[in-house]
Amino acid sequence: MPRPTPESKPRLAPGCRLSDAAGQEATLLMPEGALKLRGPGLQIIRACDGQTTLAEIVKTLQSQFRQADPKKVESDTAEFLEQLNARRAVDFE
Amino acid sequence: MSPQVPPARPERSRRASLPAPFEQSRNPEPQPDRGPQNAACIIGPLALIAEITHRCPLHCVYCSNPLEMKSRAAELSTAQWITVFEQAAKLGTMQVDLTGGEPLARIDLTELIAAARAAKLYTNLITSGIGLTQERLNALAHAGLDHIQLSFQDSAAAPADEFAGANAHEKKLSIAAAIAKHRIGFTLNFVVHRGNLARLDEMIALAENLGAQRVEIAHVQYYGWAAENRSALLPTRAQLDRSLEIIQAAEARLRGRLRVEYVVPDYYARYPKACMGGWGRKLMLIDPSGEALPCHAARTIPNLHFENVTKHSLEWIWQESESFQKFRGENWMQEPCRTCDRRTLDFGGCRCQALMLAGDAAATDPVCSLSPKHELVTSILYRVNESPEIDTGSSQMATLVRPSWIYRPNPS
Repeated sequence: MPRPTPESKPRLAPGCRLSDAAGQEATLLMPEGALKLRGPGLQIIRACDGQTTLAEIVKTLQSQFRQADPKKVESDTAEFLEQLNARRAVDFE
Repeated sequence: MSPQVPPARPERSRRASLPAPFEQSRNPEPQPDRGPQNAACIIGPLALIAEITHRCPLHCVYCSNPLEMKSRAAELSTAQWITVFEQAAKLGTMQVDLTGGEPLARIDLTELIAAARAAKLYTNLITSGIGLTQERLNALAHAGLDHIQLSFQDSAAAPADEFAGANAHEKKLSIAAAIAKHRIGFTLNFVVHRGNLARLDEMIALAENLGAQRVEIAHVQYYGWAAENRSALLPTRAQLDRSLEIIQAAEARLRGRLRVEYVVPDYYARYPKACMGGWGRKLMLIDPSGEALPCHAARTIPNLHFENVTKHSLEWIWQESESFQKFRGENWMQEPCRTCDRRTLDFGGCRCQALMLAGDAAATDPVCSLSPKHELVTSILYRVNESPEIDTGSSQMATLVRPSWIYRPNPS
């Protein structure tokens, strides 16, 4: 499953979760290490609930980041999720 | 079982950088200070390796535990371990690796995991699986266990049990099936060596079939019991080359389904590994009795005193103690490390290996091709590659020339 489709519903894989430590920068904890997140990266991970489609995630981001090229928002989001999928940190439902 | 290689999360060599959407990509880890470091600028430890017992039902011929193990009577209590986890979390530690020995040998394992999660740590159980019942697995999941790394010694039962010195393989298969039913991160770990590399394809297939998200293929690192069995474990160059082809093909084929992680055999590498991500830089190991060590084999280094968590705070041990400062930064380095551009990448390699091979813990790790003592390693490899009686598991001679393994015993 190399590339998510607009209908893909990303979900954090088993063993991966957002850190809940108070007062710390949001961190995606994974078996291989940790990824500090903020901005759109954090929003994308928060939306990885297995219910929301990639198309819906992209649409929300595009409406929020109006200064960014909508096509770049779409391709960056797909690539971000694809790389996390390659690390088995995100599944596509 | 114990981690046969330093659990290496923070120092993965082939870390592909993730693109952060719409902005410059960010490094997930704190960047090391480029200049000589002192205790004041050290963050962490990022991960804590909690060797909660040395007791183990397996007797693996490449176990990384020290030759002198800690007895059950010397082990820290539940309350003492919980204090360690809470202190680590306050220091900024994100993850605890519960290992051993076999961590399941501790009857309070569920309690320890619940406490580590309560302290906001990511919890990773490194286990042989032996002793893991359905009920216990449910309890661990309920306690919030994040990830299980389950060891296998081979894809085939007979050689697996030979390397483990115990009948364990069949039990592991049913335990793996039970783990896969839970929403717990699941990695299969294979330690590879001359005796099992012929079945690398089958090992990867086993991980795929057992429903793991990851498979770690880790070449033996020659410390502890592995060093005792080195002549029977070192792979040949031809085996190594073939294994790299298999790994690369598997990575491409399984992308998005099974993550393949690979730990290289440093005897064959051009440059040494960044052992533990650098001495006292990222990791702290606490042994069953509470002794804090910068790495698994640190106790082999003579005239170095290690502190105990029952006597000192984790923060003081990490920041101030002599043992954690001994090889931190660059001031201890000799040539060629001292002026080498790679010193901030590999930190001169492994101190324990430098001691073991070159007789000096401050020397350049002799596996480095730039080391003046590199010939110590090339001569070892020459014997492995030129010796006609070497059994690579593929010939009919295999059953006739079994190595006489030195098995890891159990502590009292």
